[in-house]
Amino acid sequence: MAEGGPPRGATGTGGGGGLGEKETWELFSNWVCCVCVVTFDLELGQALETVIPSDYKLSDTEKSNICYLAFPDSNSGCMGDTLFHIRIRCTGSGTGGTDLRPTNHHYGAPLVLMPDPAYYYGFVYFRQVKDSDIRRGYFQKSVVLLTRLPYITFFNFIIQRIAPEYFTHGLASLEAACGNMNQWPPPRPGQQLHLPILGQIIYVRLPTKSDKPAARDGEGPVIKKSSSVVVIPSVHDLNLHQALQPVLNNFEMIWELVITNEPIVVMGPSPTLCANTVQALVSLLHPLKYASDFRPFFTIHDSEFKHYTTRTQAPPRVILGVTNPFFTKTLDHWPHVIKLGEISSSNPGTEESRPHQRSRSPGDLSDTRPGVFSRYKPFLQKDKTFARLVISNKTPPGKRPMEVQNVMVKKHALELTTSFIIPLERYLASLMPLKRDVSPWRPPPQLKPFDSELFLKGMEGAGPHLTSRVKGNWTGLYQ
Amino acid sequence: MSVREVKVCLLGDIGVGKSSLVGRFVHNSFNPNLTTTLGASFMSKSLTVDGNTIKYQIWDTAGQERYRSLLPMYYRNAAAAIVVYDITSEATFDVLQEWITELHRLGPQNIVLAIAGNKCDLEEKREISRQRGAEYAQEVDAIFMETSALNATNVEEIFVQISRRLPASTASPYLTPGGQSLLKTDSGRRGPCRCGSG
Repeated sequence: MAEGGPPRGATGTGGGGGLGEKETWELFSNWVCCVCVVTFDLELGQALETVIPSDYKLSDTEKSNICYLAFPDSNSGCMGDTLFHIRIRCTGSGTGGTDLRPTNHHYGAPLVLMPDPAYYYGFVYFRQVKDSDIRRGYFQKSVVLLTRLPYITFFNFIIQRIAPEYFTHGLASLEAACGNMNQWPPPRPGQQLHLPILGQIIYVRLPTKSDKPAARDGEGPVIKKSSSVVVIPSVHDLNLHQALQPVLNNFEMIWELVITNEPIVVMGPSPTLCANTVQALVSLLHPLKYASDFRPFFTIHDSEFKHYTTRTQAPPRVILGVTNPFFTKTLDHWPHVIKLGEISSSNPGTEESRPHQRSRSPGDLSDTRPGVFSRYKPFLQKDKTFARLVISNKTPPGKRPMEVQNVMVKKHALELTTSFIIPLERYLASLMPLKRDVSPWRPPPQLKPFDSELFLKGMEGAGPHLTSRVKGNWTGLYQ
Repeated sequence: MSVREVKVCLLGDIGVGKSSLVGRFVHNSFNPNLTTTLGASFMSKSLTVDGNTIKYQIWDTAGQERYRSLLPMYYRNAAAAIVVYDITSEATFDVLQEWITELHRLGPQNIVLAIAGNKCDLEEKREISRQRGAEYAQEVDAIFMETSALNATNVEEIFVQISRRLPASTASPYLTPGGQSLLKTDSGRRGPCRCGSG
């Protein structure tokens, strides 16, 4: 295999006289595993119509998961185009299992942006339109871009760029797009990258772990400077304010649920809203990486549906985004439910859903109002300043620009996470051996054991209350 | 010194040597065994003409019919187009004229057009006279050159001519010397572009 690479690779970056029948996909695979087209077949249901590169190996489970998750679950409401992302477990043993391993290309990337060896991220662009030529009366098709890189905003942009062109111009345009991606330089953090795609150049810089976490200005995902150049200011920054709008009232509680790894289900009216909210929840912990499983969009057809919804065990410590009302029954034993409310007719993304007071029973299914349903008693109190500044800004709407709101939400989450981590870090550092004890002529020094009582005692003098204005029982939270 | 970036697109029938011209211009090399292009490939190269540096974003499109409907994507917002024919093939000259017509009709206004009669090293097989090419180019107000990707005749020159013809106003105001500073000044400032002319 490797022998086939160099000759083409040598001309590939530059010579680039195009890609013949037998091209290698070396540069492409630095970024993307494959691009699939999923169609609705009257006999078979969802079916994989095309995979580029055609020799990319997906296991049967992976194929089935891609097919089912590529269509909205109860899709009557999804006329037109729908954009969302999914996350599926890799089960393949073929190229799927190995090809996007972390390499030195990713050296220096923040933890949260490292390629995920165990999961695929799938970026889905679903189109459903009336078409009287088709027997069922509807055209239904999805383009799915599969990757291991969690560059959510970046790939959302890419799929929005290539899928509509595919629907207009057919397979040739998808090949052309993949051909362009096969010219992309490796995703090296910290470098200004120029990435050609279908007649445009994308300017993007991947962050490094030494970037200041709050340095981002919370701008929209894409700034178009002209049609031939597009600047993507951040590959992964989400609009937290928008995604968490229905639950901002309970912000500190939500953060607690995520950092303590509680099972959470997000119920929303569309895959788009669910996926964004689940991703936003996970990103509340930045710069920490959410270590459990999460599924921005999950359906009853997922191969892990049974495993995750069983009643014989306690709910798994995962975050799921669902749209099918069926889940209100299946998951009524889950302790924490976030409801996103109905889509308002005007603009589903920016709807002003009134958050309701918390602590309603999660089992109260008749209640479709947005908000958090949980019996959880938070350890931390609400930050009144945050609440006043961010939440009450809503009237009149748009008094403060969305970007600013978003930055404030992000800052607040970062402050909570760092305040939580600092005492832990400090205590752990005290367990480390002293430098003078580390010597090649002596046996390796032992780490002192983690003594939670000692740690909690130390909190009195150096706890999170020093760095966060959020009051409450931090000690309880650690326990 | 600021670098101006200019989008240029190569069009023409299959096999006229578009990729070879780009390969000669960008790498100063010639590869007789290039495969066909998938859609369009991208390359860039900077060129300094009369003290002004221009970074060409070159979109080298595929000549196959299969990709035909995609091509407006590549000449959209281009500041210049190089339409290529093969001097040894009458048919490619017909295709060239179709392209020029399409660009006039649907291409960006003020696009700088250049016509390259390629493979001028194959004099003995010539089907289109130099004069015929030149007269047509004059008719449609395009730069004209006979080129050879094989021996490098006029390849850089055609880009030099284009550089001189680019109107000053197409100077892309968003392009600053380093992409880095570009990101910083832009961040957080959406809405109306602050750039002057546009």
